[in-house]
Amino acid sequence: MVLAPLRRVYSSFAAHVIDVPPRLLALLFFLLVLFFPITTQAKSVLLILTTTFVYGIFAASLDLLVGRTGQISLGHALFFGLGGYVTSLLSINLKLPLWVTIPLSMLVGVLVALLIGFPCLRVKGPYLGLVSIAFPIILVSIIYYFRDISPPLDLRNIYGIPNFFPSLTYYQQGVAEYYLTLLLLLFSGIALYKIANSKTGMIFVSILDDELASKASGINVTKYKLMSFAISGLFASLAGSVNAHLVGSVGVGHLSLSLSFMPLIMMIIGGIGTIYGPIVGAFILQILDMYVLTRVVDIPSSWHYIIYAIIVIVLIIKWSTGLARFVVEDVLGELEEAREIEERGRHIWKRYKRKEKK
Amino acid sequence: MHLLDVESLTKRFGGLTAVNNVSFHIDEGEIVGIIGPNGAGKTTLFHLITGFLKPDSGTVKFKGENIAGLAPHKIVNKGVARTFQVVRPFRHLPVIANVMVSLKSPRGARKIEWLKTMERKALDLLEDVGLTELMLEPAENVSHGDLKRLEIARALATEPDLLMLDEPFGGLNPLETEFLTKSILRMHLDEPSRGILIVEHKLYALMKIVQRVVVLHQGEKIAEGKPEEIAKDKKVIEVYIGKAM
Repeated sequence: MVLAPLRRVYSSFAAHVIDVPPRLLALLFFLLVLFFPITTQAKSVLLILTTTFVYGIFAASLDLLVGRTGQISLGHALFFGLGGYVTSLLSINLKLPLWVTIPLSMLVGVLVALLIGFPCLRVKGPYLGLVSIAFPIILVSIIYYFRDISPPLDLRNIYGIPNFFPSLTYYQQGVAEYYLTLLLLLFSGIALYKIANSKTGMIFVSILDDELASKASGINVTKYKLMSFAISGLFASLAGSVNAHLVGSVGVGHLSLSLSFMPLIMMIIGGIGTIYGPIVGAFILQILDMYVLTRVVDIPSSWHYIIYAIIVIVLIIKWSTGLARFVVEDVLGELEEAREIEERGRHIWKRYKRKEKK
Repeated sequence: MHLLDVESLTKRFGGLTAVNNVSFHIDEGEIVGIIGPNGAGKTTLFHLITGFLKPDSGTVKFKGENIAGLAPHKIVNKGVARTFQVVRPFRHLPVIANVMVSLKSPRGARKIEWLKTMERKALDLLEDVGLTELMLEPAENVSHGDLKRLEIARALATEPDLLMLDEPFGGLNPLETEFLTKSILRMHLDEPSRGILIVEHKLYALMKIVQRVVVLHQGEKIAEGKPEEIAKDKKVIEVYIGKAM
């Protein structure tokens, strides 16, 4: 009596997840990530993965804008840094709790996205890329302006940002932050996935494919471009504000060009236009950066960046649509074909055996 | 009141006058053809009516309302749909999604039930043009002839009162041409109040469908009338074939 519904739940789960190779892989990966903290007692190790989760959210947010709607944004660090700045200023100066400051910084992210969206709409392609680079620079200039007035207000670096779990021990904080960020990554990933596969998501792709035809189909392209900017800004500032509380500080370094390019590279390496792609790309890049180059292989640090760059270039050339997409579409796609052929073979063999009996 | 009333429409590109003081109208339920040699201004005229270009002078009245210069998506929402001369599919989306994107969506509470019927409506439209088998195929893998049909399905998805087809027979083989001719006539029967405006070069296909023909040459309207009359019109023959020697 108890077994029957359980069996149904299991068979439904099997049909939707286990029998679909990409999803099974994702499930295994998720379980690995879920139980990882058991393997280590060092917060530093956990922190590597925690920041990877944050960058995963950041990269996935960019993918919606660049990969799905086709708006080339090279200044995405604006939202990351802005999210960090807003949440730190609010939590330090106004002593507001984190569950208030983080949503507020996300709101600011949306508003700023809409604000910069308007001038961005007027330009396309590479020109849009150039315009978008300007915005984090503008914010940095504003920060420097405050330092140069009197009395000077130096916001170049903000330290002492409150932690999520101030009452726990160092290691316990690490574990709690790990799971909190993982939860946020899951939430963001699922939200972005649902948006990408809704009619809105389809409209975003139509704008990417052919803006003119999209207009001719009755779509208010301006409205949807702004929407894409806004959603992207929302999740990017979430990533930035969470990062500020994890690391304890935020600064103009979080508005740098290299931080704008990072999610772009993660997106390209992992897989443009998918939601899982940039997240996988974040893992690849972080693990590459942290472990392979500094621990496993003994290289003087000056060579670090050169080899990093070479590996990134090779990855982009070899798998131009993204490594994760290659795995899901080509490798696992072929696996499915093999399985289908095997199924058919088994079917034919069964029928043959039945005929033999007669 | 005419369904579409174009009056003294003019568009200049620098020194070139692409459309010169063109006036014509189309009423509910009419099928009108626009013909003329290449460079006559037919596609420019389409762009002017559907909001992709702003006219320099003249008016475009749709159901009595002046729509000249409005944004393209607003004009579509008012009931004017068009196809493109060179097909413009959404390459990364499957065929059915191409249609779903164009579907007219209601506002408010009805949206949730509508999402369920969205697939059904898109399937119906694909059935009308004969593309149901290619439903899940990404548009980039679909043949040219089928893409032409997809263009029309997309235009029909917006539930237009005026359907404007820009060279729908372009690049189609005789079988596809026949199928499309029948489809257009069936569309006309299904929605008798809908107006259809067709720009076309394949005169033998066009003349079978339309009730009236407008002839453009170098941006000007040089003739207008029933297909039989136009075929005999001296000016029209001269423009296509040249002066008798």
